[in-house]
Amino acid sequence: MIRIAADLILRAFVVLTGVALATFALLWHAPGDPALSIAEARYGTVVSKEVLDFIRAEAGFDTGFWTAFWAWLSPLLAGDFGQSSVTGRAVWPDLMTAMSYTLPLALVSLAIGLAISVPLALIATRRPGSWMDRGAVALASVGVAIPAFWLGLLLILLFAVQLGWLPAMGADTRAHAVLPALTLALGVAASLTRIIRSGILEARTQVFLPAFRRRGIPPRNIARDHVAPHAAIPVITVLGLELAFLLEGLVVVEVIFARPGLGSFLVNAIYARDFPKVQAVVLLAAVIFVIVNLAIDLIYRSLDPRMDGRNA
Amino acid sequence: MRSVVILVVVFALLMVFGPMLAPYDPTAINIPKRLQPPGGEWLLGTDALGRDILSRLLHGARWSLGLAFVVSFLGLMVGTCVGLIAAQGGRFADWIAMRTTDTFLAFPELIAAVVIAGILGAGTGTLVFALAVTGWMRYARVARGIGLSLATKGYVVQARLAGMHPLAIARWHYLPSLLPSLTVVWTGMFARAILGISALGFLGFGVQPPLPEWGTMLLDARIHMRSTPLQMIWPGIAVVVSVLAINLAGDALRDVLAEQESP
Repeated sequence: MIRIAADLILRAFVVLTGVALATFALLWHAPGDPALSIAEARYGTVVSKEVLDFIRAEAGFDTGFWTAFWAWLSPLLAGDFGQSSVTGRAVWPDLMTAMSYTLPLALVSLAIGLAISVPLALIATRRPGSWMDRGAVALASVGVAIPAFWLGLLLILLFAVQLGWLPAMGADTRAHAVLPALTLALGVAASLTRIIRSGILEARTQVFLPAFRRRGIPPRNIARDHVAPHAAIPVITVLGLELAFLLEGLVVVEVIFARPGLGSFLVNAIYARDFPKVQAVVLLAAVIFVIVNLAIDLIYRSLDPRMDGRNA
Repeated sequence: MRSVVILVVVFALLMVFGPMLAPYDPTAINIPKRLQPPGGEWLLGTDALGRDILSRLLHGARWSLGLAFVVSFLGLMVGTCVGLIAAQGGRFADWIAMRTTDTFLAFPELIAAVVIAGILGAGTGTLVFALAVTGWMRYARVARGIGLSLATKGYVVQARLAGMHPLAIARWHYLPSLLPSLTVVWTGMFARAILGISALGFLGFGVQPPLPEWGTMLLDARIHMRSTPLQMIWPGIAVVVSVLAINLAGDALRDVLAEQESP
């Protein structure tokens, strides 16, 4: 187990190095003179050559790729995310403020998504092939096909514009979070319902279950002790994908609902070509994502004894 | 398999003949007739610049579906190559290929695409690049997995011992066994590409106006939500119906393959 964990941690380290390298290569190849756009944003349009040279030296643009990469990476490793190239404000506090809007929304959406999908999948699998099962599958299939930004717009249209029940823009009160959370939760619920349903159906095909039934073990106990744990394994393996799905939804949903979270932070930073902010979001998200996937991997391996180190 | 063929044919017909069915020029601006309601002269109404929405939807199929096809096909090419290199190239090549795959999977694909397209500058070329670069990893994993299971099969071992070139083994022994599973992955990635193109278009990083792409149309329609809410409905329905059709075809194909393998 320790060997496997060490191997997984080494992999996580390699992956994060790769992400850092890819991020820097992307910034290095960004079109236009980044020094010029920084200067324009800071001082207005007319800039002298000396100012440009100063900015270039400050950001390390005038050295080679690997020197500049190291110059770029070392403060990041020390936890210094630098200043916004547009406003000059430190990136980290603003990033944390954005995070404080995004994290609760993501967790609440995930919770609502589970609260919808688990009962729905249980009802659907009570009688496979019945109209309830087919209805749940159809609902989930449509739900997976609806893009989060369109669902968000439809909910705004219905609940904010037509009915006027809920606010659509901003994040001032709890009521402002209802529509964004609902948008994300419905998407999560749709994909989870499909996975949990097929997980349960698959778990019921285990060869020893009829023997247990004939021996007189109550169906409730079989479901609890032999079907549920087996059905949980595919669900846990896709939780990482589900998190990715949720984060992708968050970006567009925050933009639509004008919530000042991580997604809006990222998109606005790209619009403004504020690269220190962009790279901070990218690296933070990558670290979180890799750690969560590492945790999921370890849980999964401890749940399923059939998994050994080689089948990774 | 039949459902996928039908789907591809319907989409191809839509992309080739859809624009011919369009009653108006999709970029013709007609300000006096802006924001017309559906019905009458304009079947689905007009947008904020007086352009016919139906014509834009029909022309948009070429962008939204056509680009998604290109993106998913590029991903298929790259991913299959990486997967086969990992399966055939020995331990070191396998490690490099799989850690590269992990690195690209270490980040939500759509967000990576947004960052890439945003930093490199919006446009159709960068859109395709951004989505293809973030959309090859699943093919690679599937191709590697099947490739490794084939490597110990008798006919592959014999071919290798007989001195058959690795590329020839890949072409004649690996590819035929890979194709069914890769087609299933492809349907899923095609659907994802449609969602990705419309999402990037909606954020302003995708196909640029005045070209009629469905996500870009939604971005335009959003501003006029209060006065002409229906304008926002049509492009969304186009996206949902396309994605749903592809997903259903993919599910059907997967069931057929599972049945073939089980007995």
